[in-house]
Amino acid sequence: MPPRMQSRSVSNTLLPYLTSSSSSSSSLSSIPSLSSASSQCLSRQFSATAAPQAQTKLRRQMFEWLNNEGSVFKHHVPGETNYLTRLKQRGGNEGSEASRPFPNNQHFISEPILSEELRNEVYNRVIEQKKSVRVVSVELGIDMKRIAAVVRLVELEKRQRAQGKPLALPYARAVHEMVPTTPLAEKGERQTYHEPINDLPAHPLTGTQIFYPVPESRSFDRVEAGRVFSGAPAMEHSEAAEISHPSDLAEKIMEDPNSIGWVGKGANARQILQPADVRIPHPHLVAQERDRLAHPNERRAVADLQSKRLERQDALEKERRERLQARREKKTTIVSPEESRFDYRIKDTIYTTETTGVDGRGSKATGRRYGVPHRDRTRGEVKIPTRVEA
Amino acid sequence: MRNRASNTLSKGKIRQSWSKYNLYNMQRFRSPPTTNRTFFQQKWSAKAASRAYHGEQVREGQWKRMFNHRIRSVIPMNASDLAADDGSLVSSGRGSGLDKGGKPAYQTRPTPYTHMTFAPLERRLDVAIFRALFASSARQARQFVIHGAVTVNGQKMKHPSYLLNPGDLFQVDPDRVLYATGHTKTPYERRQGRLTRRKAKAESSKGAEEAEAAPETAKEETKETEKEDTKETEKEDTKETLKALLAQAKSVMSAGKNTLAPQRKQELRGFQQAVRRVLSRSESSTVLADSLEAQFSQLTLLLKAKRSEKPEKKDVKPRPEDAFATDRGDAEVASAKKDTEATASDKLSEAFAQATLGNEVDASELSDEEFDTLKRALTQMRDNPLDNSKTYSTPWQPRQYMSAFAFIPRYLEVNQNICAAVYLRHPVARPGSAEVPTPFGESIATPAYGWYLRRRW
Repeated sequence: MPPRMQSRSVSNTLLPYLTSSSSSSSSLSSIPSLSSASSQCLSRQFSATAAPQAQTKLRRQMFEWLNNEGSVFKHHVPGETNYLTRLKQRGGNEGSEASRPFPNNQHFISEPILSEELRNEVYNRVIEQKKSVRVVSVELGIDMKRIAAVVRLVELEKRQRAQGKPLALPYARAVHEMVPTTPLAEKGERQTYHEPINDLPAHPLTGTQIFYPVPESRSFDRVEAGRVFSGAPAMEHSEAAEISHPSDLAEKIMEDPNSIGWVGKGANARQILQPADVRIPHPHLVAQERDRLAHPNERRAVADLQSKRLERQDALEKERRERLQARREKKTTIVSPEESRFDYRIKDTIYTTETTGVDGRGSKATGRRYGVPHRDRTRGEVKIPTRVEA
Repeated sequence: MRNRASNTLSKGKIRQSWSKYNLYNMQRFRSPPTTNRTFFQQKWSAKAASRAYHGEQVREGQWKRMFNHRIRSVIPMNASDLAADDGSLVSSGRGSGLDKGGKPAYQTRPTPYTHMTFAPLERRLDVAIFRALFASSARQARQFVIHGAVTVNGQKMKHPSYLLNPGDLFQVDPDRVLYATGHTKTPYERRQGRLTRRKAKAESSKGAEEAEAAPETAKEETKETEKEDTKETEKEDTKETLKALLAQAKSVMSAGKNTLAPQRKQELRGFQQAVRRVLSRSESSTVLADSLEAQFSQLTLLLKAKRSEKPEKKDVKPRPEDAFATDRGDAEVASAKKDTEATASDKLSEAFAQATLGNEVDASELSDEEFDTLKRALTQMRDNPLDNSKTYSTPWQPRQYMSAFAFIPRYLEVNQNICAAVYLRHPVARPGSAEVPTPFGESIATPAYGWYLRRRW
């Protein structure tokens, strides 16, 4: 705000200009009245409202807090979190308090991030030691998606370093000081797990409450519960007898993903809900535990079985991926003319009711259709992309 | 879109921002009272408070379309539990497991579903950039996107409302991130920046003119001047410059937060000059004086040569935190060692001088700490240089009050070095915790969720 002009500093020479500027349509009659009461006017402020104080009460209180209690938040202490909860912590000192950024929210925790060394170790194991993502995930206790992301990011970082692009090194250092991190274990020590790796996503079908009477004499396991939730009939006795434990199903499905049954018809058709042993990211860990229970004193044998299982799984996944890729390549022909910057991917048009609609004018059909305006032109069309190809 | 997201004290709303006003508001925020208020009023005020934080830049209608009453959640499974029981134990008896002394078979913490009400907003590009700590507020993140500083999967993305898909990699220009998270420039620094810019401009125009006029003569002149320079510097005493170098390295490392900014900058500048002087005298001086990177590699090479000569002393473990050693942490260490090393530092400077002159040195007299100090000073100088042309205060420091807001949710994997992050998956709730960062407790989250259920309860 510019400094308020005091009446004392206004000289008589300025007065006419001031009045004329404030009201351009000022009548002549106002001037004599002003000159007559000029002595009174000079002692009066221009504004009738009192000038505000330098600081409001709230502002004063804020700066008081910032200078006393809040001063600890100004700078961080390396290796420690510095959240608002530390103010309330003084009485009962709990370990979990230090990692809660919001005093009112009991349920949000600032989870540790991967330290620089651990990140490089992940990259080293996946790229240089050629271990599978699944194995590294179990070894270090990091989610498989995160491992894939870490490899991608470290590779990008290496490329940028090689290209000499600018990096934000001091910023990275500061963030790693402020946020809790999972360190890489020293040699001989056991690696602390970064996060739970066997998370089972809650399926919407399991949200319903179902009254399903079962005789007390009968054992009712996870496989059957899944069938009840998805509305499938109970298994045949012969089929049920084959499954001694739900994790048997996991191996069966790994070998043949099409062995999962279907319920419903047409658009309502859906796969039967599988037990948790199948739907978790690392079903082989359950199988390993079962081996351990069956052969408690044969560690070596259990480890061999597990490594064979993992190899088999990797081989199957690889084969599946290659088959998919081959099918995709078979569908498209790529033409790359010389002296051209572009590749042309040519696909055969499939002209069916599903792709072009009943009248052949479906909005997703190929080509321009007479009488159907382009999507761009229709009203209320959102043009923000929904995906960006990697 | 007009920015209405001011951090007013009178309203006391919490925003997605690192401002100190916001910190103060967050600390004094109390849940609105429920006594003598209708259920509608309770839901209204809960909605108002939470929408001021979550997606305040998103129109209400837009958000209502994004809202989904179904909330993602996961249950962490224990492999040994699954192996031990096929589910029949839990369903035995009358359907809920056999009663074992009044204790349920499985004890679980409740899942805070309603804390996840605003999970769809976390998919937005601008919010994700703020969550990855690349911007100091969601509004700033939005501006970065609009100004073209953000790429998604390597392509420039100009829509802040782009909804990230699992596996998307987004990257922000590192300079913008340093600007957003760093200290602002002081008027003095701004003036210095202006002056250097002006000087560079004048020089470039002058250089262009000269180059046009007489390219050949100019080359000869520069050669001559170079020769003269080297002759002059050789005359100076090597030992003294090296001593000065080490002293400056120490003062650089020991400067705490109490040191005034200009003073610290003078020190840094002096150190930089000293390094240049030392390097100009070593054998391969032709490469050196150009870039900090080259200087650094040369000096570390010299130091490495020294280190390899004495493997016996190497038993000192390289500390894991060395990679992220701090200015302040270093400062404490350095200042503590200062007194004891006063005599030893002379030896180091001597040895260093001899090494630069290409002579054989007895390196066993030197302490590991001295190498470390010098090395760290050099690393800092390389990684965090003094550069007035930047938009933020240099050497870079985190802005004040940043640490109170610094957390990275699990659904993002961030690489701070290149300012890139991957959106791994959608945020989920799990027993005992929710992944959507929200400053509000149960008493606000649940009524706000109820509000968006289209008045169904």
